[in-house]
Amino acid sequence: MLDFLKRIFADSSSRKQANDRLRVVLTHDRAGTSSRLMETLKEEILEVISRHVEIEGRPEVKIIREGRHSALDINIPLKGR
Amino acid sequence: MGKKTEGSSVIVVTSGKGGVGKTTTVANVASALARKGYKIAVMDLDIGLKKLDLILGLENRVIYDIIQVIEGECTLKQALVKDKRFPELYMLPAAQTRNKDDIKPEQVQEICRQLRPEFDFIFIDCPAGIEQGFRNAIAAADKAIVVTNPEVSAVRDADRIIGMLESAQFQDIQLVINRLQASMVRSGDMLSIDDLMEHLCISLLGIVPEDKKVLISTNKGEPIVLNEHSEAGLAFNNIANRLLGQQVDFPSFEEDSLWGKIRNLGRNLFSKQ
Repeated sequence: MLDFLKRIFADSSSRKQANDRLRVVLTHDRAGTSSRLMETLKEEILEVISRHVEIEGRPEVKIIREGRHSALDINIPLKGR
Repeated sequence: MGKKTEGSSVIVVTSGKGGVGKTTTVANVASALARKGYKIAVMDLDIGLKKLDLILGLENRVIYDIIQVIEGECTLKQALVKDKRFPELYMLPAAQTRNKDDIKPEQVQEICRQLRPEFDFIFIDCPAGIEQGFRNAIAAADKAIVVTNPEVSAVRDADRIIGMLESAQFQDIQLVINRLQASMVRSGDMLSIDDLMEHLCISLLGIVPEDKKVLISTNKGEPIVLNEHSEAGLAFNNIANRLLGQQVDFPSFEEDSLWGKIRNLGRNLFSKQ
């Protein structure tokens, strides 16, 4: 049922695409970063962490925006003993 | 006739991207304020690519330009072109045969220092780009108006400009959204006011709808604010009133059909990432 509703209301408008693309571009413009740099950053951060503790699940490294300010959001689930 | 207010405001109108409506905004907001009796100077800093004289319909009255003032060939007073339709409106023309590097920020500051005692508002028409011309245009300004269109490249450039204005310690930066088409926003094919506010995060000064009458009045060299039946003219008038500190409500471009409302509600509920 939820999937059905999601499909009906899925927003594939060009306005949504413009917003999605702008979110990414402006975040990188403001922080002086790029998608490529984020990938490198993610790999290196994971490498350092995994040298000391075991990682489990899907780690995330991304830039989040709040107003005109950006922050690096790092979410790395660790394996329990 | 003397000026109306004690102080004076120097406002730079800028955008990053060209062709979004900076000069049209300067010409019309300045005309609207002059019509209300405020004493206004407009300064064209798009050296080499001047437009303001043409948009205002004053191209045949230009004798001297800003470079000649700076180089001492004429006085500032001699270079100011008086608008016959609005006795309180004066324009300082740009030079067409020189370039942006022929002026320095300190020289613009000096001209503004001389204009301030005589005028209520001084508008600076900034050239497109982020180079010397931009630096000259913001050097003497107390506040900035950023003009943009609901279109990705204009928004990206506006964001860059806002960042540069913030780095230059501007406290008062306001947004004018030009050429909005409400029907396209409703059908999901244009960025909305809320979308732009979310991306740019500065306060809103005005929303100017797309209006064919703007081109017609530009053809004639007449400000659109003189046209009582033009939506864009009304919008520029509202901007002038807001600059005077008046509370003017923004028009609502909300979805009015029932299905549109249901669709928007559904999208909000079900299509989050």
